[in-house]
Amino acid sequence: MNSMGIALAILGAACASLFAGIGSAKGVGLVGEAAAGVVSVDPNKFSKVLILQLLPGTQGLYGLLTAILMLSRIGIIGGNPAALTTAQGLMFLGAALPIAVVGLFSGIAQGRAAAAGVGITAKKPEHNGKGIIMAAMVETYAILALLVSILLIYNIAI
Amino acid sequence: MGRAEYASAVSAVKAMESSLLTQSDMEQLINARTNAEFESLVSAKETENKTLSDVWEMLKSYAPDSSELEILLYRNDFHNLKAVLKAMISGKDPENYVIEPSNVSIDLLKEAFRTKDSDILPDYMRETASEAYELLTGTLDGQLSDSLIDSSALRAMQKSAEEFGGDFMQKYAELITVCADMKTAYRCSKMGKSRAFLETALCGSTALDKESLIRASLGGTDSVISFLEHTQYGEMAQLLKENPAQFEKYCDDMITELAETARLQAFGVEPLIAYYIAKETEIRNLRIILVCRESGADIETITERLRKLYV
Repeated sequence: MNSMGIALAILGAACASLFAGIGSAKGVGLVGEAAAGVVSVDPNKFSKVLILQLLPGTQGLYGLLTAILMLSRIGIIGGNPAALTTAQGLMFLGAALPIAVVGLFSGIAQGRAAAAGVGITAKKPEHNGKGIIMAAMVETYAILALLVSILLIYNIAI
Repeated sequence: MGRAEYASAVSAVKAMESSLLTQSDMEQLINARTNAEFESLVSAKETENKTLSDVWEMLKSYAPDSSELEILLYRNDFHNLKAVLKAMISGKDPENYVIEPSNVSIDLLKEAFRTKDSDILPDYMRETASEAYELLTGTLDGQLSDSLIDSSALRAMQKSAEEFGGDFMQKYAELITVCADMKTAYRCSKMGKSRAFLETALCGSTALDKESLIRASLGGTDSVISFLEHTQYGEMAQLLKENPAQFEKYCDDMITELAETARLQAFGVEPLIAYYIAKETEIRNLRIILVCRESGADIETITERLRKLYV
């Protein structure tokens, strides 16, 4: 069995959850700081700003989903690892990259957009929804990357 | 794009902006029939930040680095330097003449003059304190020492804005300097002040060159006005000559307009500075309404004098 192939695939799964997770952590953290500022002045706005804080959290979930699908596909989950060639391992690593890279940057970008949305909630709470929509736009690109990663994972011949 | 570490502070400030007095609040205050009605209207809108000192303490507690805000209080610091210096020399208590909030405590200023040790003062006012002391004790010319301190305050603001601040802070320092220099040059030309005095009293900026301003001022009031008319702040020249009250309003409104540009920023120190400016303007407007009411001014006069609102 070529151990390099499976090692590369596992590295891919790790990258997916790692970088998308970092993106989400940074994004959620930033919105959390902004939200805390508003709540310190007006605690009644907690529920409104909480929705904004949750938005950049999805990239981490997409990274987790990609990692689980990949680990299941290569047989790590189930205890029966597939015998992958180095080329196949690289393919799985490549399959993880869209959500890993886009997850990282979109998580941070969505965090900034949502933190700015917290400013809308702070000043004009009735326009809270607009802040949510603007931050949610960033989500599109994380979803597209997730889609590509999933398509690649299921279409690599092993 | 501003700095993300200000996310919490900016959001808190935006939440507080909603409690600033609006145009309709001001109209209600102007139209209040009795002083009791005026007071009840003000107290109905009053938040926990009643005074500028409260606002300052609040902003400092939110800002990750409060030293970036200190430039806002430089003029207060230098005013207090004047007050303490004169009070010490005339043997009076400066407490009634000082302005709060300030970066430098009154006790520290007193201590610096008492021990003749200006090294205990912050860098930006150390040299000015020694010079002003020497000047005042040597010449007993209060006007000259005041002018030295005033122009030093402007220079300190410009230096700090260049070193630490971005475009917003530099523009803020420039506007404050331009307004002060215009007034000083015009007044000095009216009083026929000498070149030596003007060298001390004027600060100069990229918009208004000091040497040109001195030459214009030495040529008389018409020469100053005609010089100013050909600068980028030309529209203020006639106001300076014809309506000093409207000139002051124009200066304050320019600062508020600058503050408004920071409203679009989601991060960075600028929205905090903008909030301080907004609160300063609000308090100034309340004072104008109160003074005008007491002097029996009509509604039209009060409205004309009110500063542009941030909200």
